[in-house]
Amino acid sequence: MDPQNLLLCAISAAALDLCVLVLIISAYREKSSAKKRWQKISADMELVEQGASYQLTCDEILIGRHASADIRLSDMSVSRYHAMLGVSDGVWTITDLGSKSGTFVNGVPVKKKILHENDIIIIGSRRLTLRKRRDTKK
Amino acid sequence: MKSIRRCLHIITLFLIVFIAGMGYLVYVINRDAPFYMMHSDHLQLGMVYDRTGDVLFDGMGKGTYEDGHFLDFGNLIGDEKGQMDNTLVARNIDKLNNYSFSEGLVREGGKAAIYTTLDHYANRQVYNAFGGAKGCAVAYNYKTGEVLVCTSLPSIDVTKGYENVADMESGTLISKVMYGTVPGSTQKVSTVLSALEIMGVDALYAKRFSCSGQYINKTGKPIDCHQGWGHGEQDIQQAVENSCNPFFAQLIEDDDMPLEQIIEKYRRLGYAVNDDKPTYFDIDGIDCFRASTTLTDKYEFSTQWGCIGQGDTLVSPMQLMMWQSAIANGTGKMTMPRIIDRVSDVYGDISSVSTVEFSEEIFSPSSASTMKQILLTNGANHYQYSIPGFTVGIKSGTAQVKEGAEENALLVGFVDDQRKPIAFCVLLENKYSTPVTAEGIVTTLLNSLG
Amino acid sequence: MSNPVSFVFSSAFVIIAHAAMLLNVYSSGQFTDVKDFAILAAAVVAMDIVVTILMLTFGQHAHTADFILLLILGASVIFQSCFGGVSFAKKHFITCIAALASCRVGYLLCRDYKWLQTKKKFIWAAIGIMMIVILTLTGSRSMWIDLGFMTIQPSEFIKPLLILACATSIQEQQNKHKILKFDIVYENLILFGIVAAVCLLQWWCRDLGSIPTFAAIYASGFLLRICYPKAKFSTKTLIFAGAAVAAAAVVGIMFAPAYVKERLFADIWNDTSGSGYQQTQALIAVADGGWFGKGPGKGELCNIFAHESDIVFATISEEWGLLFAVMTVLMLLLLVAIPLVNPPRSYFHGTMCAGVCAAFTVQMALNIFGSCNLIPFTGVTLPFIAEGGSSMATSGFMAGMIVAAQSPVIRKIKPKKSAKTAKSRKKGGKAA
Repeated sequence: MDPQNLLLCAISAAALDLCVLVLIISAYREKSSAKKRWQKISADMELVEQGASYQLTCDEILIGRHASADIRLSDMSVSRYHAMLGVSDGVWTITDLGSKSGTFVNGVPVKKKILHENDIIIIGSRRLTLRKRRDTKK
Repeated sequence: MKSIRRCLHIITLFLIVFIAGMGYLVYVINRDAPFYMMHSDHLQLGMVYDRTGDVLFDGMGKGTYEDGHFLDFGNLIGDEKGQMDNTLVARNIDKLNNYSFSEGLVREGGKAAIYTTLDHYANRQVYNAFGGAKGCAVAYNYKTGEVLVCTSLPSIDVTKGYENVADMESGTLISKVMYGTVPGSTQKVSTVLSALEIMGVDALYAKRFSCSGQYINKTGKPIDCHQGWGHGEQDIQQAVENSCNPFFAQLIEDDDMPLEQIIEKYRRLGYAVNDDKPTYFDIDGIDCFRASTTLTDKYEFSTQWGCIGQGDTLVSPMQLMMWQSAIANGTGKMTMPRIIDRVSDVYGDISSVSTVEFSEEIFSPSSASTMKQILLTNGANHYQYSIPGFTVGIKSGTAQVKEGAEENALLVGFVDDQRKPIAFCVLLENKYSTPVTAEGIVTTLLNSLG
Repeated sequence: MSNPVSFVFSSAFVIIAHAAMLLNVYSSGQFTDVKDFAILAAAVVAMDIVVTILMLTFGQHAHTADFILLLILGASVIFQSCFGGVSFAKKHFITCIAALASCRVGYLLCRDYKWLQTKKKFIWAAIGIMMIVILTLTGSRSMWIDLGFMTIQPSEFIKPLLILACATSIQEQQNKHKILKFDIVYENLILFGIVAAVCLLQWWCRDLGSIPTFAAIYASGFLLRICYPKAKFSTKTLIFAGAAVAAAAVVGIMFAPAYVKERLFADIWNDTSGSGYQQTQALIAVADGGWFGKGPGKGELCNIFAHESDIVFATISEEWGLLFAVMTVLMLLLLVAIPLVNPPRSYFHGTMCAGVCAAFTVQMALNIFGSCNLIPFTGVTLPFIAEGGSSMATSGFMAGMIVAAQSPVIRKIKPKKSAKTAKSRKKGGKAA
């Protein structure tokens, strides 16, 4: 194989690699813009407990004691699959999944309830608040 | 969130497994590419050289050579065309592959080569010494195992192609050195070695049998001697020198020579006795026939002839020569012959170097030294003038082939000289049809080896 | 479009990569008429530019997956045009356009999963129709329908449909029904039935290569389904499942019909002119090509049957070198790996991406490892690279699914009051 062909082969391979690199970088850039977009869709809410906050990064969030739960509350008063948070059109909804101790929003036991900003959700003995996300917390 | 992360885990799992597979594939291709390339139609083969650097096979076909340059080694070295399977090139073609995965096929200046131990000059002299007669000759250094001469006639010039393959005489496309032939009286070497092993030196020397030209064995069949008027009473030394068939028939029948022990000693020598599975020596990839014989009843004609060198017995010239090395070395261990000395890869780096190897002990050192003495005495008494200038231990043989229509002459032996440790075997077919003698070929062989 | 800078850079570098490949073809390729090369170059660059401009009008949020697809398809056209001498592969170019169109269709169908979930019945109906088509039109030992001007492989179309069926039925997992002592999810049974039926049908067609693909799609879907939302990957379960699969494989091999066993254990090097012909020629070509290849159009594998589909990896290896071929494969992997960088926002889209990843990687593995003799050789095509209209269209559709997961529609933000009714219908409607 003569050196000229080798060089061209190397150039086309390098161009391909470079293109792949650029595409990966742009995928990462899109990640951050997708995040912004998500904040818009999810009304930029977060769930907070004393000292802890939970980011809501997908449209269905399971709350429970089980290790597979998206928000895991290690507390015996919480059922393994306690409640489900869902978002649609910027509105969050909570659905009770037949828990033992029930789900309360602002002190009222609910089966399914639309949530508003600063609603207090009581799950077992845990007390969670839905509120606008604050940038100071990560 | 965990649920999404589970999806990503599954994607990652698939990707990891696939990438691992891909990595393994690249590794396998890298490793096996030369093997794949061997099946390609576009091979770029390297060279085979003799010990002095003379070309024995030119894979590129670029060099120019005088007519008949490749003739004397034709059916030993062979080529890649597939007509001859049991040849050095055919069996070691992977070593000649001028290819590496990173370089691709090297069309110019590839350095893949096999450096053999062969001596092209001596081989050609031996080939010419046959003077058109058929047969084969092989010689090697019994200290190092380096095969120096290995020619087989008729032979083929591989550069001339195979158009007239149908008209070729049988045996043209094989090296007879590697294939079984009737050993004739050279078989008596094996029989004497077995007797030495079974009885010991003193007991064997005490045995004396008489020959009157014909011996009627215990089952009533005549064993003829080649000398019609007989040899009279002889001991083992005289019997070997006379190559006396009645003596050996009586030796086999002797009560001190139980058949099971003969069979056992024969097997140790490497014979496939009776229904043993036939096997091969591997000489740098070339299959070499291993001796075989049939021994059923020691009072029977065919078994006795088997031990004398006719009957069902077949031995390859290569193996006859290898026994000589075990005798000449005085150790009872054969020096294993080797044709490839070293191999270089496509870049010219030496990739493998062969070393001298010995077989298991096939007979005891004391039997070896006694046998050596017998053969040396034979050589001194009978070959002093026909093979002048060398101290040889030697045994001749005459083998009747084609139902007795032709007789082949054989000579096996060794040079008892530390500076020239050569063991040899010469087979001259149909010896009455040619003025050439086996002794003459041996003389040429020994003289042309420097 | 949210990232004008990366959009411009991506499109520019895709064109640069194609141009570099074309330069390689021009200088070391083998062509008699420079016109052949000019047509190829014009077609590829035109495709890049037109698709980029079209993308601007689509108003998607993320474009990386589209650009990767464009990069792969352009490279694919160049590869296919070079086999055995440079000449523009018109048919392949048209199927590439079809793949892009089908990608767009896939995106539009899959971006809004809540809408798609209401159309679940249609997906199942489509699978059923495909199966009937296979049953009635292809015949028992064939996988092709010959339409005269083109042949169609209907089993290909079942792949994306099966992914969608797996993904749409995920939510159903919440609706368990107690029958005797078991919690049964009806849709699980239905789905299993569908997969079993499809696999049996493929067996009947002797399309053995596509069975692993379906199995992989179902396995990834099933794993994710049993985890939704009430379980996790328990080590015990996974080990048990792995052992079950291994045992099934062993039993399957032990009781496999003779012709399958023959394929599994055949040594291709003993039969280089018979059944091992394609594979041995492919491996020799790979060896001949080395790392950097012989040069575009200079290969000799193009004389072998199925050089442009079943053993296309070897053909590319021979002409472009193993390095380039492996890089092409990595580009395909990049497409399915995009969800790892930019994760989907819903479980549906995650499941879909996993399904697409399963389908692509298994097909690639069967094709590449099969043609290189690591596993038995089956006639599976390499997505996007191999020639074949059905395969191209379905692969494009599956790429569309990944695009959809990148820029999903989770319903536009409307005034909160009016959204109420739609929202309350959501959960209840699905369960019905």
